[in-house]
Amino acid sequence: MNANVQAVKTPLGPRLRALPPVVWMLVVLALVFSITTPQYFALANLRNILVQSSALMILAFAQTLIVLTQGTDLSLGAQASLVTVLWVSLAKAGINIYLAATLSVCATVIVGMCNGLLVSKGKIPPFIATFGMQNVVSSIALLTTAGSSIYFSHYIFQFVTETRFLFVPLPVWIAALMFALTWLLLYRTKFGVNIFGLGGNPEALVLAGVNTVKSYVKVYAYAGFLAGICGLITACRVESGQPVVGMGWEFEAVAATLLGGTSLREGRGGISGTIAGVLLLTVLRNGLNVSGISAMYQNAIIGVIVMLAIVIDAMVRRVRGD
Amino acid sequence: MDTILTAHGISKLFPGVKALDSVDFDLRAGEVHILVGENGAGKSTLSKCLLGAYIPEEGEIVFQGETMHFQSARDALEKGIAAVYQEFTLVPYLNVAQNIFLNREYKTKLGLTDHKRMEQEARALLKTLNCDYINVTQMVKKLSVAQQQMVEIAKALSFRPRVIIFDEPTATLSEREICSLFEQIHKLKAAGIGIVYVSHRMQEFARIGDRITILRDGKKIATVGIYEKTSEQLVNMMVGRDISQVYHRSENQRGGIALKTTALCDKAGRVKNVNIHVRHGEIVGVAGLVGAGRTELAKLIFGIDPIASGTLEIDGKQLTGKHTPLRMVKYNVGMVCEDRKRQGLALKDSIAWNIMAVSLRRYFPRQFINHKKMYGICGEYRKKFRIASPDIYRPCRLLSGGNQQKVVLAKWLSNNPEIIIFDEPTRGIDVGAKMEIYALMDQLAVEGKAILMISSELPEVIGMSDRIYVMYNGSIVNECVRGSGDFNAEAIGAMMLGIKEGSCCEC
Repeated sequence: MNANVQAVKTPLGPRLRALPPVVWMLVVLALVFSITTPQYFALANLRNILVQSSALMILAFAQTLIVLTQGTDLSLGAQASLVTVLWVSLAKAGINIYLAATLSVCATVIVGMCNGLLVSKGKIPPFIATFGMQNVVSSIALLTTAGSSIYFSHYIFQFVTETRFLFVPLPVWIAALMFALTWLLLYRTKFGVNIFGLGGNPEALVLAGVNTVKSYVKVYAYAGFLAGICGLITACRVESGQPVVGMGWEFEAVAATLLGGTSLREGRGGISGTIAGVLLLTVLRNGLNVSGISAMYQNAIIGVIVMLAIVIDAMVRRVRGD
Repeated sequence: MDTILTAHGISKLFPGVKALDSVDFDLRAGEVHILVGENGAGKSTLSKCLLGAYIPEEGEIVFQGETMHFQSARDALEKGIAAVYQEFTLVPYLNVAQNIFLNREYKTKLGLTDHKRMEQEARALLKTLNCDYINVTQMVKKLSVAQQQMVEIAKALSFRPRVIIFDEPTATLSEREICSLFEQIHKLKAAGIGIVYVSHRMQEFARIGDRITILRDGKKIATVGIYEKTSEQLVNMMVGRDISQVYHRSENQRGGIALKTTALCDKAGRVKNVNIHVRHGEIVGVAGLVGAGRTELAKLIFGIDPIASGTLEIDGKQLTGKHTPLRMVKYNVGMVCEDRKRQGLALKDSIAWNIMAVSLRRYFPRQFINHKKMYGICGEYRKKFRIASPDIYRPCRLLSGGNQQKVVLAKWLSNNPEIIIFDEPTRGIDVGAKMEIYALMDQLAVEGKAILMISSELPEVIGMSDRIYVMYNGSIVNECVRGSGDFNAEAIGAMMLGIKEGSCCEC
């Protein structure tokens, strides 16, 4: 009977119902803002939302992989800041801009590898290990610039932020590329299988002969790579090196991950939901800005809505029996 | 039959204990060789030495004529010795095929994993196990325990092993699932694969075993053919002392009705119109298949799940108002849960804190805890229940199953309950500890306590109970009193199945 069952495509209705609840919340939120704010659905604003979300999007993909292994990487925001600082200061020192970019990303990959070693070899809980790393990394970033922002002018910054390809700005394309790469790694390679294994049943990996230390190091290093790309995009946007620009982004990335349906336990979830999670956060902030709500209220509103969203998500999943 | 695996003089040391003391073992192609022994006798240690998870200090392992020096389970697996562990080694959010080929993923020319090929081969493997109803693209998380075990077996088979070691495979399965597992084992046997089968359950031995090796205190006692010894003799060999009777009941007086339910129903429809009663000084058994609603009934009585309709009386007084476990404890009711590791104990906490978990309020009504007094009380319980541990400060996770269960019992009995519900009181513990628990239950009945016992081991229910309620599909279908004509395994077994025929399978 099975061959037949597998051959039949699931009809659209159940497939829509199987979407993570956050997708529906996103739709509802967008509708609310489009009613309260004229011109909300203007092409410019939509494009704006996508551009605003692209840096966080890349960071959230990194965070999702870490959360899938039952960890959290609190150093991701600091890593992004470090890359902006390193890139600009290396370029300022006369190094070729592309080489400088590559070197900066290498630095965060190394930071990620250290995270992975601390977690696997050092057996330090990820929350603590990466919290320590966050402090170290953000100190390095501050020391590099003596505490202030550093500026540098190069046409590449404007090129990245202003180029459009098929009406879509380059940062969005970069985020899409990172999605494709991460998706491929997660679902079509051994690297991805091991990520689900680390979160779901590390014992099973050991018995299958997997070197789990290596697997942890790889995941955290890849997260470092993504944080590096996020830092590069950010540097282009702010056209400078800013040692604290990414402060707190790691938590927004965790929120987006959880909103997207990835669980902090047993390796459940994936990166597709994370897109919706990031968009939800960005749409909220953008909508509140466009509606002219004071920045002092914004954080509280976002906090409450995120909590509501998580509760609704949990309830929907319980009803569905996921 | 040829011998394919031999172990000579295997010794394994752990800090402070000699877990195995020059044990010999041999396995022939196409046989099921059962390893039995009490907890701590060394059966798991021996099987782990055979499959490379432990490296023995002394002795050699000869596999297919070659001396082996395994460094890891993976080594042994590649040589052809596979294992199906008690705790599953599956990753919940990977699909069946990905789990079977974990760390041996096929790759396409681009270096990506070849899903199609893995799924095809997984499907073929499951087909040889007659499990083609398992969808290979399904997440393992969504499969039933029995299906997961089949995947586990398929995974072991994918290495084309000559030997498979099963470590207590039936611990979490229902009778129907056990039958299909045994069918698979018979097939593997027929294919010439040697099987090492570690188990506690005596009643399974004759159904699948060829030979039995008995271990006690790390030493091999004997290897015998399956029909050479009676189960009583086997138990004697395992425990090392003579056991005239496993189930012993003393003469005692019955008192008034302690617990009575009238037309009790739950919300999910898994308990329907249940009328039962238990007298003081009486042990009442509840028999039924897994899923018949036995545990649900116990949870309902103890206030874990809400009652939909019906009433509950304790010592003739109808229970009104809020019905919670805490309230039941105050009414002097205790419940030994089915899953001691998750519900019965705080595994990381010490024996003492676990024993005190329920009765703290009783001993220290003024909230402040006198540690000297507390440890004194717990020390007495350790002696009284013969909990095998040098002290009471040790975390419970370090204890064997039998000793953990004794801690659970001490926890409830220290609160001096009048009514005790036992849900699977002897699951996964060895014969010696079982007998101690039976003796304790008997003593409790003599003291006039009312005991409701739920168990899937029919011999135990029949051996210990004064009366048995048979549950089928959520309802009580029969009540059998000790001494009456239908108080035997055949009759009760048939009632449990809801039919009047014999057993459910031919194996």
